[in-house]
Amino acid sequence: MTIDGEYTFRAPRETVWELLQDPDVLVKALPGAKKLERIGEDRFDGIMRVGVGPVTAAEWSVNVQLKDLVPPESYAMQMEGKSPLGFTRGTGTVTLVAEDEATTRMHYHGDVQLGGKIAGVGQRLLDQVAKLLARQGLEALNREVEARLAR
Amino acid sequence: MNRSYVGQSVPRNEDRRLLTGQALFVDDVQLEGMLHVAFLRSDHAHALIRGVDVSAALARPGVAAVYTAEDLGDYWRPGPLLVPPPPVEGLTFNEATQVPLAKEKVFHVGEPIALVVAESRYVAEDALADILVDFEPLGAVVDPEAALAPDAPILHTQFGTNLAAHVVQGHGDYEQAKAEADLVISRRFLYDRGAACALENRAVAARWDPKAEELTVWDTTQAPIPIRNGLARMLGLLESQVHVVAPFVGGGFGPKIMMFYPEEVLIPWVAMKLGQPVKWTEDRQENFYATTQERGQVHDAEIAVTQDGRILGVRDFFLHDTGAYDSYGLTVPINSQCTLLGPYSVPSYHSEFKAVFTNKITVTPVRGAGRQHGVFVMERLLDLAARALGMDPAEIRRRNYLGNEAFPYNHQIIFQDFSPLFYDSGDYLPALETALETIGYDSFREEQRRMREAGRHIGVGVVSYIEGTGIGPYEGARVTIDPSGRVRVATGLGTQGQGHYTAFAQVVAEVLDVDVEQVHVTTGDTREFGWGTGTFASRGAVVAGSACHAAAQAVREKILAMAGRVLEAVEEQIELSDGHVRVRGAPERSLSLGELARMANPLRGAVKPGTEPGLEATAYFGPDRGSTASGVHAMIVEVDPETAMVEIKRYVVVHDCGRLINPMIVEGQVQGGVAQGIGNAFYEKLIFDDSGQLLNASFMDYLLPTALDVPRVEMAHRETPAPMNPLGLKGVGEAGCIPTGAAFAQAVEDALPEYGLEILEIPLSPNRLFSLLEDAHDH
Amino acid sequence: MKPAPFEYHRPGTTDEAVTLLAEHGWEAKLLAGGQSLIPAMNFRLAQPGVLIDLNNVEELAYIRDGDVGLHIGAMTRQRSAERSELVAARAPLVHEALPFVAHPQIRSRGTIGGSIAHADPASELPAVTLALEARFRLRSPRGARSVSADEFFTGLFGTALESDELLAEIEIPPPADGAGWGFAEISRRHGDYGLAGLAAAVQLDGDGKCSKARLALLSVGDGPVLATSAAETLLGAEPSEEAIRAAANAAAHRDIDPPSDIHASAAYRRRLVEVLTRRVLPRAFDRARGVDLKPITHEA
Repeated sequence: MTIDGEYTFRAPRETVWELLQDPDVLVKALPGAKKLERIGEDRFDGIMRVGVGPVTAAEWSVNVQLKDLVPPESYAMQMEGKSPLGFTRGTGTVTLVAEDEATTRMHYHGDVQLGGKIAGVGQRLLDQVAKLLARQGLEALNREVEARLAR
Repeated sequence: MNRSYVGQSVPRNEDRRLLTGQALFVDDVQLEGMLHVAFLRSDHAHALIRGVDVSAALARPGVAAVYTAEDLGDYWRPGPLLVPPPPVEGLTFNEATQVPLAKEKVFHVGEPIALVVAESRYVAEDALADILVDFEPLGAVVDPEAALAPDAPILHTQFGTNLAAHVVQGHGDYEQAKAEADLVISRRFLYDRGAACALENRAVAARWDPKAEELTVWDTTQAPIPIRNGLARMLGLLESQVHVVAPFVGGGFGPKIMMFYPEEVLIPWVAMKLGQPVKWTEDRQENFYATTQERGQVHDAEIAVTQDGRILGVRDFFLHDTGAYDSYGLTVPINSQCTLLGPYSVPSYHSEFKAVFTNKITVTPVRGAGRQHGVFVMERLLDLAARALGMDPAEIRRRNYLGNEAFPYNHQIIFQDFSPLFYDSGDYLPALETALETIGYDSFREEQRRMREAGRHIGVGVVSYIEGTGIGPYEGARVTIDPSGRVRVATGLGTQGQGHYTAFAQVVAEVLDVDVEQVHVTTGDTREFGWGTGTFASRGAVVAGSACHAAAQAVREKILAMAGRVLEAVEEQIELSDGHVRVRGAPERSLSLGELARMANPLRGAVKPGTEPGLEATAYFGPDRGSTASGVHAMIVEVDPETAMVEIKRYVVVHDCGRLINPMIVEGQVQGGVAQGIGNAFYEKLIFDDSGQLLNASFMDYLLPTALDVPRVEMAHRETPAPMNPLGLKGVGEAGCIPTGAAFAQAVEDALPEYGLEILEIPLSPNRLFSLLEDAHDH
Repeated sequence: MKPAPFEYHRPGTTDEAVTLLAEHGWEAKLLAGGQSLIPAMNFRLAQPGVLIDLNNVEELAYIRDGDVGLHIGAMTRQRSAERSELVAARAPLVHEALPFVAHPQIRSRGTIGGSIAHADPASELPAVTLALEARFRLRSPRGARSVSADEFFTGLFGTALESDELLAEIEIPPPADGAGWGFAEISRRHGDYGLAGLAAAVQLDGDGKCSKARLALLSVGDGPVLATSAAETLLGAEPSEEAIRAAANAAAHRDIDPPSDIHASAAYRRRLVEVLTRRVLPRAFDRARGVDLKPITHEA
């Protein structure tokens, strides 16, 4: 499954970049993230409980590795998640383009593979769920950006 | 014989129990102290297992035990090869059979890795979430063509290839035929995977009784006796110490004959290990991952014909996706290879297939067992040839049927039973004419034109098939007159809804002239009858039915002999009717069969030297060769080209399964088979992604046709008796589903002539038909 | 396929139910007919810690006519609504759409409110209530409020319900003079989730011009989707064949961004929406003109 999109933040590129590296920020931005720890340079471990609407299911343990960091422009990441419902593996790229001094456009692209039971029963809604989670995450990130700028 | 039961639509003996909920199924087995099992299954299609941590699961309250491959010790070993490869010259076969629990590597999603034994299935499933498996994912092999690419990941590294088998068969000189042909049609055909989806999933329950030193196993298997024999061997017990019961089973369709499923190996072992009864019932989600599947072939086929539509030859190269293991040998692709020839005279045939391993669930026979693939290819080739020649599809079939003088007919290739593909008998042309007449073929074009003027698109499809049925090795039966006067029949088959309790009763009742409901049939209990093979390949009625007939004949002789002695008359004077023996002309000299049976087991004195007690006989039937059933299916569809939705308006089956035992049961078999065939054609398809994940593992997304989607089949029987068995029987279990896809494709094309569609694939979903129509529109 | 452990409550009144809901918040899930929730729990896709079973709350099952329209209690079984003469007379679009909701066996358990609150994008009732401008009465220990269908559906399984709120009642405005309606969907099998579906509510003014058009589509977005540009092409115009064709095009190509999945590509869904719009609207407008027509298809 491919997730593609872009999002515009009303913030300087450096601010957005900084927030994207901060586990305390990401834990608020990742849908359902309960915990996110930096376990090494550019490596994070976390627990997520993904909810779609009022339905919440099992906990996923996730591991995220950031790679090819070109501050404040771009990075790639590799993500793995596991839960009793199955696993997910994916790679993604994030590119930040400074539209002007106070506006940053983010392009994101992800290739995500799902495995196990979740792949076997979720197909009817997967496309929509991915879109929803991406939107939720970005909106939450935007709130963090706005909060940071308000400080 | 006064009364005739064979050939009558007698109501089924088993239905009262089934309809009132009194029939025992494996999941009904409840024993004191019973524990419940859930399996941890691989989420990955292809991965190395670096470690399995079960400690948290073991610590969960209510969990009795957790086992991985390491815990099985010597009991861990690859399962048996069910069917060895047939004796075809130059054949290659790489044997890889499944293991009870994956140890170092998993080969498909759903392969079991660990099992939890707990006080309830709920707790067992909770504990599955506690088990941690460290996987190292490997590249997955999904597409059968890609499996043979030089850079493909290899499943079974000992072979250095994903090739499971390579078989070439044929007769005549195809190249010569091609050179002489007026028309050669060559196409690629796809037939994708489906699941059997029996109403009842698999289930195994086991109890070890240490005092009796006896293992009892309740199993949904189609083959209880081979399961008993195998378990005894694996567990180091005598066959007499293992008692396997296959009670009522809610549908088999082939996958329940796979031996041995890991669960079948493990549940009895756990029961012995823990000294407590244990049960596992597969749930529907597991069934999609853990029960074998079928289909998945790619054919590159070619037909050479003359200007007047006569077949000169057929050449076919095909790939058969055998999934992760090839425990069932080559039955499915050999069936495809042989059944392609159909009811036709094919002077030259070259057929070559490669079976390949893929990271998908293992393939074993599912109703039709590869036959539908061959039929689809041949029937489509004929349709394409007819179209190219401007010939009616029915006419090209007419011109190529084997004539009645051809039988017995030898195709000079080897069939799944290791014998030459041999047609015992057949009478094809009248079946076609009956089908055409029933569906109104002659007036259909007019109707089609009228509908078209009203903006509606209807089409007709008519196809033929043959089915090799009733193969050996053998089955047996024991017939006993009970002192109550009722008749007991025991056979080694398992029964999954085929009506054995009635069909066998009819055969025996006719020989002994008793009421059908007075005949009590037992199947699937190894204590009742310990020799036999199983229910598969449309063979139950033919092979076990013939054994029942032979045993009943032997009992009849004993009855007449004994009655002669007791009633002091010569045997020829004894008449057997209505459950009594009488001296002809002296009706007062009469005994009921029950009285006679009691006399046959004297409490004082002795039977005459050399005679056996009881009115009982056992007989076996082992046919040299199977019997060849055949038929014609015709359907009318309506297609909405705007929405790509297809509705099947009418469905006609004219079939010939030799002499009918019970027409009602036969009609049920055919109707059910057609439902399955319609599923294969239009609704059902197991969809795997590039990493080997199954994407529709539930009835939300895997679409079985329901009663609302299947028309009532209009049926006509023809009875060309089989010469190879005493009752003239041929099998009918699979007939309904074999040619459905081919008929469907022809009918859909016929409904939309202006699109010039070529439907070369099955199943054909509306989404797929939409894109075919879009492509046709663009061109 | 056994659910994960959960705490179970079976209140007898709405007040008790919302009190429990307030106590447990998002951890709790309301059980109505259970036709979506129970399978999701058995797959362990949903693992609510607390289940509040509404099946003993009898006061939530009713169908009543009122001044502002029809009032349907959330726990009314779909099959009861389908058989209700009141629903047939006062909310004919609901009556026409209900037979498309799964199978009779499922409708006998499934509830009107459960299906709406679940807000599955493939469900019929969210689209129907959106087309009809229904209002939903929500109850919590804090009181009651009424929200419109436009506000209620917020996305994939998303609704305006707060964690302590329960959908208590559906209020459907009565058909106005000159109102017409139609429903159709295309599914793989009888009773399946629709690959696409359309609930249309239209109105003609005295001159035979379209004065209102609400076209709610299902299975083509993250919830019921109002085809607004299709409606615009109709408004103020006579619903001629050309106008309907234009609306169908707009619905298929401007109003939706349909998903691709294993059953239908986005292109196929657009085609189905185009065809459905072309087929449903003439019927809806005929009804607006007072021509009574049988539904396009109707399960026996």
